[in-house]
Amino acid sequence: MKLVVNPALLLLAGLLAACSSAPTSTSLLDQTRSDYYTAQHNPHVTSYASAEMDQAAVLLDKANSAANDHESAEKIDKLAYLAKQKIATATEISKQKTAEAVVAHSAQERNQVRLNERTNEANLANANAQQANAATKIAQDQTQQAQAQTARLQAQLNELSARQTDRGMLITINDVLFNTDKAQLKAEGVMSVQKVARILLDNPQQNVYIDGFTDSTGSAAHNLEISERRANSVSAVLIDMGITRNRITTHGYGEDQPVADNATAQNRQLNRRVEITLYNPAKNTVHQ
Amino acid sequence: MNRQTLNITLSGFALCMLIAGCDSMKTPATANVAVTKNAVDNASDAGGAEFAPSEMKSARDKLALANKAMSNNDYKLANDLATQAQADAKLAQSKASSEKAQAAANALNTDIRVLQEELSRKNNP
Repeated sequence: MKLVVNPALLLLAGLLAACSSAPTSTSLLDQTRSDYYTAQHNPHVTSYASAEMDQAAVLLDKANSAANDHESAEKIDKLAYLAKQKIATATEISKQKTAEAVVAHSAQERNQVRLNERTNEANLANANAQQANAATKIAQDQTQQAQAQTARLQAQLNELSARQTDRGMLITINDVLFNTDKAQLKAEGVMSVQKVARILLDNPQQNVYIDGFTDSTGSAAHNLEISERRANSVSAVLIDMGITRNRITTHGYGEDQPVADNATAQNRQLNRRVEITLYNPAKNTVHQ
Repeated sequence: MNRQTLNITLSGFALCMLIAGCDSMKTPATANVAVTKNAVDNASDAGGAEFAPSEMKSARDKLALANKAMSNNDYKLANDLATQAQADAKLAQSKASSEKAQAAANALNTDIRVLQEELSRKNNP
């Protein structure tokens, strides 16, 4: 038999050879390979779903082998489908585990935030309580101070035999505290006036009137002069003690305004006096 | 033994082999369908119908077809369909679980943000 080489047969053989060297693929297998590549490059998937990815790799290998062996598209797709679903499952598992890790971390964070909130509330309540206590203490101290000051003032006024008048608390510096017919205060007189000065230092809201008076003996001009000088010498003691000049108003009345008739020596001595009146200028601005 | 007798004998043998081969698929296919039914039920319990409706439907449809193939004694097809349905059911279940976990994470993060806002309002009234 003569061997005839048919060109058509050669072509067919060539085609078959080409077919055997180029593996078959399907669009589903291509898609599955792409999915696998994406998952393989996702660090969450490789760390959280490595077992599922191993299973997916086995399934994909089977599909690839089927393609290399020129199995039917139907068979390749059947295997590729299983691999594709496994890759998707691996991806979902990694998402789940990632979210669970977030939950675990967030729960801790939320507890910390809640703890911070409670600590903050407790601190705030504490601070408020302390503030309230401090305010109460201050108020109590102030009350005590005020009471003590009132008591001290009362004692001081009592000591000076002060009495209440329309103008204010009246303290009388008697003639016996002055040198006879002189404006100069005796040592006991200075001490009395110094007590008044201490009252004024303790009670800065109080001002003083210092009014000098005499009896009717001697000339009116002389009496006026000595009453002014006696008022001024009382004022000088107050100023020496640190009372500012603008809190003091001095006036000499001479023989006007006697407290008793000038008929007896005893009465005349009562008339020779300096009256110190403590007043609060904010409450009583009327000057006689 | 003549040639014809041999042919008949061989044909009978081949037929026997074929039937035996088909029957040999019956037990694994039955088991696979049962496992798949279980996987579909698990996915359904996990909320697969809500979170992964298309995978869930695919799994149920293929399971129904696998059962139909079983009753037609087509064990090969039943096995293939069961395997696919199982893959679908597992995907549906993992989708449902991941959606739920992500929802929980989001809720928690929202919770934290609200708390922090509240805290910063209290600190800076």
